[in-house]
Amino acid sequence: MGKYNFSAIRVRQTALQAQIAGKIPYTPVWTDIIRDIPPSQILVRSQPQQHQLVRQRVKTVPGESKPRTVFEVQEKRLKPKKASRMFLPVEIKYEEDQLRKEFFQDHPWELARPRILVEKTGKDFSQYDWSRIQQPGKRLDGESVVQRQLWLLNNVPDITKSAAYDIARQEFYRLRLQEDIERRVAAEEAEATGATFGPSALEWGMKFENEQFEAWKEWAKAEAQGLANRTSANALAAGISELPGTEDNAEAEEDRIAEPA
Amino acid sequence: MIVRQLYSRQGRQLLSVNRQASILRRFQSTETQTPTTTVETAVKVETEEPVIPVPTESALDNSTSSDSIRLAATEAFSRQRQNVKNFKKLGSVVRNKYWPDALIENPPLPSQITLELLLANQTHLGHSTSRWNPSNSQYIFGIRDGIHIISLELTAAYLRRAAKVVEEVAALGGLILFVGTRQGQKHAVVRAAELTGGYHVFDRWIPGSLTNGNEILGSCDRKVVNAFDEELPEWAERLESRGSLKPDLVVCLNPLESTVLLHECGLNNVPTIGIIDTDADSTKVTYPIPANDDSLRSVSLIAGVLGRAGEAGQRRRFESAKRGVLGYRSVSLGKKDVAERPESEDAA
Repeated sequence: MGKYNFSAIRVRQTALQAQIAGKIPYTPVWTDIIRDIPPSQILVRSQPQQHQLVRQRVKTVPGESKPRTVFEVQEKRLKPKKASRMFLPVEIKYEEDQLRKEFFQDHPWELARPRILVEKTGKDFSQYDWSRIQQPGKRLDGESVVQRQLWLLNNVPDITKSAAYDIARQEFYRLRLQEDIERRVAAEEAEATGATFGPSALEWGMKFENEQFEAWKEWAKAEAQGLANRTSANALAAGISELPGTEDNAEAEEDRIAEPA
Repeated sequence: MIVRQLYSRQGRQLLSVNRQASILRRFQSTETQTPTTTVETAVKVETEEPVIPVPTESALDNSTSSDSIRLAATEAFSRQRQNVKNFKKLGSVVRNKYWPDALIENPPLPSQITLELLLANQTHLGHSTSRWNPSNSQYIFGIRDGIHIISLELTAAYLRRAAKVVEEVAALGGLILFVGTRQGQKHAVVRAAELTGGYHVFDRWIPGSLTNGNEILGSCDRKVVNAFDEELPEWAERLESRGSLKPDLVVCLNPLESTVLLHECGLNNVPTIGIIDTDADSTKVTYPIPANDDSLRSVSLIAGVLGRAGEAGQRRRFESAKRGVLGYRSVSLGKKDVAERPESEDAA
């Protein structure tokens, strides 16, 4: 049929036909297996799954005592899709995409921190409870802020995006500061009990800089010496210039030429 | 300038350390006690009668001093043993650490396939949207960051179906061949073949191994086994007249590069199972498994699951063989009634 070769999907029919035609004495062992577990249809073009952005919010209604959970669905675009794009897959969108984008625009260096990407079971999310920002088995990072902000947006009545962002951000900054202090205290404790950490990056930098300064100092000394020698030689040459044809004079001449006066 | 010496340091352990009193205390009028350190080290005990060194004898021959040294060493040794015993229970133990070969050495059963497991093993990642094969549109869930995302539900469904096929073929004693010729797939391919009791190709599919098998595989070893996979040497001369063996099922982990293999399988009417990424052609295989074929974790998971299915099939085959039920046609040699199940030593 056309450009397609369907021999792979029609193995059972081919085997049965070959047996009927006497090409093979017996059908292969898998003939009945393929009858019982038939291959699926291929090349089916179905309507792709549509992904709509859904926002969950909690709102207080004037007449009611309890706040109500509201689901807001993103409006459909006014201009309908082209007919040729009917069967194309659709972009997957989540609400946290925007939150993530904003956070990492404000904190670009958070992306430079190491992060564990390997998941063993894929069920890490089941241990997380975003009513607080710290989670068991997860390092505090930008994603924590995003998830915490999303939880606040989904669960706190009448909260705005920026208010949720501020709450999540402040919690994040506090914990980061605490981490810094813990790290410093640990280093101090280790030093007190005998650990040595060696020169720091700044000390290494100063060491290299000092080496360069020393090298320059020697070079400058040599240059200054050379300059002094040359000026004294010139002065000497000027003093005895009345005697032409001497070797000293010739040297002084060379020096004068070498010097860009 | 940071003046820190005037305050007590933050270190908690620092307080318990024996050290020189800080300088502020020196200015107090009253007498302060300086902490004295008591060091418990083995000191050589002076013996009652002083040993007069004899210049002619060496110090090593001095029995009294060598005894005390030995005593101190023994004491130090026993103290160290005691310390090890005391502190062995302290500290932390790392549990649940990531072991990269876990998927290959101990793959999950087909019944243990979950969407989370597939997600954690990256089977959902397809290719860039511009590289897609539109025939795979039914397997695609959506677009994310410019790549197609393969539907995990469909991957699970197709993987279970393929596992069932492998199990049934193994239960009927069919020859199963695992082929994965990409870099790094070797371990997974060999392990899957080992579990299934099948065969493997991991370096290169020699073109013509099926269509011109007598020439290419003619010199390979073959043997005839009975229902319990025991070799039957009396059938050896009968094997000469038989052509080369063909697999009953081929599992191809990289259909994109194995065009020749899949074409030969089509010509020889061999059913195939293949991992179909978003850029592969799904008409090339009998049973496609829509999944990521570029990630080694994804490939290892799929090969492992199929290997486990084959293992279950082999178990079923041996159980039915014990009851005397054979899934295949039995042949006899003269008076003896044995089941013939030709097997090749090496598939490639």
